[in-house]
Amino acid sequence: MSRTILDVDSLFKKYGDVIAVDRITFQVNEQEIFGILGPNGAGKTTTLEMIETLRSVDEGTIIVDGLNIRTHSQEIKSRIGVQLQSSSFFEKLNLTELLLLLGELYGKLVNPQNLLREVNLCERSKSQIGQLSGGQQQRFSIAAALVNAPTLLFLDEPTTGLDPKARRQLWDIIQRMRDEGKTIVLTTHYMEEAEALCDRVAIMDRGKIVANAPPKELIKDLLSTGFKKERMERFATLEDVFLQLTGHPLKEEQSL
Amino acid sequence: MLKNPSRTRFTIRVRWKLTVASLKMFTRQKEAIVWTMLLPLFMVLLFGFISFEGLGKIKIGIVNQANSGAIDLVGALKRVQTIDLKEGSERFERDQLKIGERHLVLVIPTSFTFSNLDDVRILVNDSKPQETQLGLLILRKIFDDMVFSEQSIVKRPNLKIESIASHNQTYIDFFLPGVLSLAIMQSGIFGVAFGFVSLKKRGVLRRLSVTPIKPLDFVIAQVAMRLIVLVAQTIVLVGVGILVFDLQFSGNLLDLFLFGVLGGIVFLAIGFVLAGIVKTEDQVAPLANVVSLPMMLLSGVFFNRSNLPDFVQTITEFFPLTYLADAMRKIMIEGSGFSDLNIQALGLSCWCVLSIWLAVRVFRWE
Repeated sequence: MSRTILDVDSLFKKYGDVIAVDRITFQVNEQEIFGILGPNGAGKTTTLEMIETLRSVDEGTIIVDGLNIRTHSQEIKSRIGVQLQSSSFFEKLNLTELLLLLGELYGKLVNPQNLLREVNLCERSKSQIGQLSGGQQQRFSIAAALVNAPTLLFLDEPTTGLDPKARRQLWDIIQRMRDEGKTIVLTTHYMEEAEALCDRVAIMDRGKIVANAPPKELIKDLLSTGFKKERMERFATLEDVFLQLTGHPLKEEQSL
Repeated sequence: MLKNPSRTRFTIRVRWKLTVASLKMFTRQKEAIVWTMLLPLFMVLLFGFISFEGLGKIKIGIVNQANSGAIDLVGALKRVQTIDLKEGSERFERDQLKIGERHLVLVIPTSFTFSNLDDVRILVNDSKPQETQLGLLILRKIFDDMVFSEQSIVKRPNLKIESIASHNQTYIDFFLPGVLSLAIMQSGIFGVAFGFVSLKKRGVLRRLSVTPIKPLDFVIAQVAMRLIVLVAQTIVLVGVGILVFDLQFSGNLLDLFLFGVLGGIVFLAIGFVLAGIVKTEDQVAPLANVVSLPMMLLSGVFFNRSNLPDFVQTITEFFPLTYLADAMRKIMIEGSGFSDLNIQALGLSCWCVLSIWLAVRVFRWE
């Protein structure tokens, strides 16, 4: 059994009267790809942003790599790698300059070429962020999350808006990073992505975690209840698991 | 909490690196260069070459009905350098006078001799009293000389005239410190307001906030970058003034930088206030203009505030741009030092405190 690197216990967050995250508890082990799967508004991003120290925690505890977020947020910031949803970088610097600058913000001298090779962007090292395609920008933001050589990486909807080819490319990169020893926590609302990419999935809906297991187990459990899909292609998909657990389908498109 | 020396070293290094990166980004932004450097320079060049002050030549028309009889008179007039002499028929010259093309028209009758000036008529343009009076004086002087020599009166007062090399204050001397102050205001308010709203909107600030640096580190780097640009602006504008327009720079350059930086901080803070207030990018320009336009027009940048109605003068006296422009002008033209500029220093300091206090209150990262 590998070590727990992230321990979230009874995490709770309210915006006014709206409960965004409703006392969720989960652990992430070292060197796994942990996915938080759910529709928009389920509380995935809020959960991630609390762990990333971007948002205050109302109730509950978060322990990252043995450090409590309430007392060691600065230390945690310097240890984790973060890719945010819809964030960007300075426009007028090229990728090499951006990575060097980001490294400085962690007090680290980085090798931009190595980081860019990690995400297959070597040939764009002199480009500015605005000159990259959507997939390239996402890959760059992963390289940017790696400047402080973190062992724990948070990716918030890394493949949203990408075409299937770019998505597969990103999956490969994420799996390679896991194989190199990193732990990755990502959010997604793509069922297939969670199924294909994640070692373990927490299904989140309306602020609660309704299931937490490897995708194959979730599907197996569902089938063991005697579940059968109306039109048979496979016995069941993760989509069916979601439907069964939450009682409603995903509101948005989810096919590749 | 105890200060950690390695943390302090890290903070200094990070702020320095951020400043350098910001400068790099600034120099790669074509529109920023145009607004902060070229536009003020262009204004100085434009207004520097247009002469608003001083008299042009006195335009005199001659209607010569005496022909060769007035040859001495016409010759004498032609030798006067400040006169632009034209000849024509009376009707033509009258028309020219009416449209302002002549200041005076001298009608020389056929009966003209220096002993008979009775029928000489002078038509004057009554909407140009200054030039007309001067023209009349010159004409009178010429007539006197001619009449005196005709009548062999030789005993004339002999005035000793000594010419002194002098520099008369020109419009550019007034205008350049004003444009410099204006440029400092514009790049402070507009640069910060636009820059930060865009960084906010594009999520760059959010991305920075997950790194170990503090928001203050980034603000300090931005302010440092702007102040470096400000010093560069000052050097370029004053340099062009001295080299191209023979600007009389009699003050201390250090005083100029000191006031520039003080004013710069005020306007940068105002920029942060605006960046904090606006909700969308579209609101930046109107709001920044509402703040900066009254100052641009009424703070004595383009013309002296003494031309304004009294109550407007009283109000505009307290504008930060007025303090800055007055200080810059006094340093550059009158050679005033910091000690002569207590009012301006105090005024700007008050604005400094006020605007920073406001900026801290309203500025938000998200």
